[in-house]
Amino acid sequence: MATNVDTHALDHHYHPPGLQHQFEDMGQQQESASIGMWVFLAQEIMFFGGLFTSYLVFRSKYPMAFAAGSNHLDVVMGALNTLVLIVSSLTMALAVYFAQKSNRNMQVIMIVLTMIFGATFLGVKAIEYTEKYNDGLVPFTGLNRRAKDDQHNRKSLEPESQHEQSLPSPNNPGHQPEAHGDYINPRGDFQWSDTSLVAIAQQGNFLTDWEKTGYFEDGEVSAARFQDKVRLFFWIYFAMTGLHALHMVIGLVLMAWLLWKAWRGTFSAEYYSPVEISGLYWHFVDIVWIFLFPLLYLLGRHFGGTH
Amino acid sequence: MENVEVINITQKPKLNYLNNGDTVSSWLLTRDHKRIAILYLISVSFFFMVGGLFAAGIRLELLTPQSDLFESGTYNKIFTAHGIIMIFLFLIPSIPATLGNFFIPLMIGAKDLAFPRINLLSWYLYMAGAGIAVWALMQGGVDTGWTFYVPYSTTFSNTYVVATGLGAFIIGFSSILTGLNFIVTIHTMRAPGMTWFRMPLFVWSHYATSLIMILATPVIAITLLLLVLERVGRVGIFDPAIGGDPILFQHLFWFYSHPAVYIMVLPGMGVISELIANFSRKRIFGYEYVAFSSIAIAVIGFLVWGHHLFVSGQSIYAGLVFSFLTLVVAIPSAVKTFNWTATLYKGSISWDTPMIYALGFLGLFLIGGLTGLFLGAAGLDIHMSDTYFVVAHFHYIMVGGQVMAYLGGIHYYWSKMTGRMYSEFWSKIAAIVTFIGFNLLFFPQFILGYLGMPRRYASYPEEMQVLNILSSAGASILGVGFAMPVFYLIFSLFYGKKAPDNLWMLPGLEWRTESPPPTENFYETPIVTWEAYEFGEESGLDFEEARKREMATI
Repeated sequence: MATNVDTHALDHHYHPPGLQHQFEDMGQQQESASIGMWVFLAQEIMFFGGLFTSYLVFRSKYPMAFAAGSNHLDVVMGALNTLVLIVSSLTMALAVYFAQKSNRNMQVIMIVLTMIFGATFLGVKAIEYTEKYNDGLVPFTGLNRRAKDDQHNRKSLEPESQHEQSLPSPNNPGHQPEAHGDYINPRGDFQWSDTSLVAIAQQGNFLTDWEKTGYFEDGEVSAARFQDKVRLFFWIYFAMTGLHALHMVIGLVLMAWLLWKAWRGTFSAEYYSPVEISGLYWHFVDIVWIFLFPLLYLLGRHFGGTH
Repeated sequence: MENVEVINITQKPKLNYLNNGDTVSSWLLTRDHKRIAILYLISVSFFFMVGGLFAAGIRLELLTPQSDLFESGTYNKIFTAHGIIMIFLFLIPSIPATLGNFFIPLMIGAKDLAFPRINLLSWYLYMAGAGIAVWALMQGGVDTGWTFYVPYSTTFSNTYVVATGLGAFIIGFSSILTGLNFIVTIHTMRAPGMTWFRMPLFVWSHYATSLIMILATPVIAITLLLLVLERVGRVGIFDPAIGGDPILFQHLFWFYSHPAVYIMVLPGMGVISELIANFSRKRIFGYEYVAFSSIAIAVIGFLVWGHHLFVSGQSIYAGLVFSFLTLVVAIPSAVKTFNWTATLYKGSISWDTPMIYALGFLGLFLIGGLTGLFLGAAGLDIHMSDTYFVVAHFHYIMVGGQVMAYLGGIHYYWSKMTGRMYSEFWSKIAAIVTFIGFNLLFFPQFILGYLGMPRRYASYPEEMQVLNILSSAGASILGVGFAMPVFYLIFSLFYGKKAPDNLWMLPGLEWRTESPPPTENFYETPIVTWEAYEFGEESGLDFEEARKREMATI
């Protein structure tokens, strides 16, 4: 890069590295980049806002079902992830600081640390998702086939359904793939039967109007109807955390790009806006998680959990 | 870039943005906002014609009371295609992505938009989304209406909802990126002396439009994403069978789509502010009020979405508040209309083609706006909901407003964009034919709607046939009015007279550079010392001298 600067300076008036042709000077470019990222983040807030609104609507309608779903999330994992992200925000802020100080080595170290924390977050999230998958709590059709198969196997060990015992075996030539279609619930293979929280709310007389009609059938608590509402919770859980995880992945790609640039010594006190605006993005993604964690993991835990 | 300075200015074929590179890649990979605007202009106009063909199909079917040309299912697909193409592929990008893209940097004295690569990306996103939507249409289309109401769209419709939804999702991001680029450009790229209150009102209205693009479009993006996930995953928050809430979809949808109608009309208002002030040769009446009324429309526009839910099971108290706020949003629109009219008063009006479109806009927008008040009043809306009254109302705003402004703007800037002059005679005829055809097409629909003809049906009672025939006749006249510019504008590209730099002796910065402008817009950064629409000596333009010089060159 240093040689580039020299040739530019020779054949033209001084042209700082990274200054694009449409800008008059570095100050204007940096201001533009910064405002651009803030505007983009405003857009992001509205993007997540639609999901937060949906979450709030359904939590206020079905607080018990959401508490039940929430109690099934692993709060230790969630807290660990919160901690990891907060520390990654610190290392990100330090990366910006060292870029402003033209300290290449510390910049690189801080970006690498940020990437490690980001990857840790995604790793923990992957473990959590796997647990949910194995517990049959993924609300989408067709994704839970393994959990369903396990259950099916267990069932088929019982004497009355011996004829189905060999069904899941791929070696069985008589195996009919269509048979799989028979037991797939068109609404998903979601597993949930515990309605104990409804009883608690009934005793305390704090069921909402929506719950009074939504959980009951002929005056009796209906496990299936309660399950539908818990499934809503998990649907929103996967949508929100999945979208957040997607943003983390994008953040990691940005960090990899920054790392490459920082390694080559691109950033200095004169030109550091890519580090700064990537930092803004990273902090924003962290803040989204800071809202997601209490909303999804913590609210409603005082109702007493099943796990 | 260094070469630009070396070239002798007096050398014969001047280097402008059109002849600065003529390979395909110099167009498809360009970062020049003017070339991207031309790419948008071509694609947007193409989709306008495609959408128009579907509209022709609708009007043909409605010539007779029976559903004889198309089956009801096909008719559903045709009006859905018309709606989706016109709204997502034409109206939303129409003025911002073409005229806005081209002229915002020129008007504020910048070399380009702040993020040229993002600008190009937004065109590719637009084309990608359009491609997916068109693929869905060719596969058999969608029959949900452009509103994608659940649970029909998620559970029951057997058409290409997922592909169309994803197409609209992607086009949404194209619009977000355009808005982002405009906001940043207007904040940071203004030339020295170009203060906020010296900016042309076109720029103000695009700033307001961009605010809506940034803050509303993501909501439709997430809503469409949820809809697609729900349809694919067969479970979700909109499915009433499991306790989900279809009204939530309508809230989220209209939280975008009502502000989006301001995305569709605010840029048109910006064009009209330019045309009215410049062709009256007079500073616009109440500049600050017109500027802030754009912002007010953008802000209040976010608070009125509930008037689409008056009959959807929304609480009557919410309906009351939304009804009130809907009447409030009429005030800034009225401020604009009054100020335009007051600008005409004692102005030195010239009857060039763009001005005819602008005056047509005034009349049509007035009717469209006032009937909006009918529909905003909750009590009356119960009667009018989902009738042709609504159809006529929003076509008066969208076609009578935005499309008239789009055509007016294209005629106004044609000489600047292409460096050529179109036929003044044919363009005036086209403007008048458009106005007549439009009124004949949509005015009968107000009456039909008041009589109770519901929208989105292929058949209707026989006693409504006369008005429907009038409407279809108007459609054919309007079609001629829309087709004429295609011919004489393309003709002018090859045989038109060369246009002078400042055709109408106007003070705006965009008229102080060459026609067509050079790639970097200005040879040196302009310094602005005059107010917007300054026709006096303070504008620094010697109009008499300039006129003589232009007469000599022509």
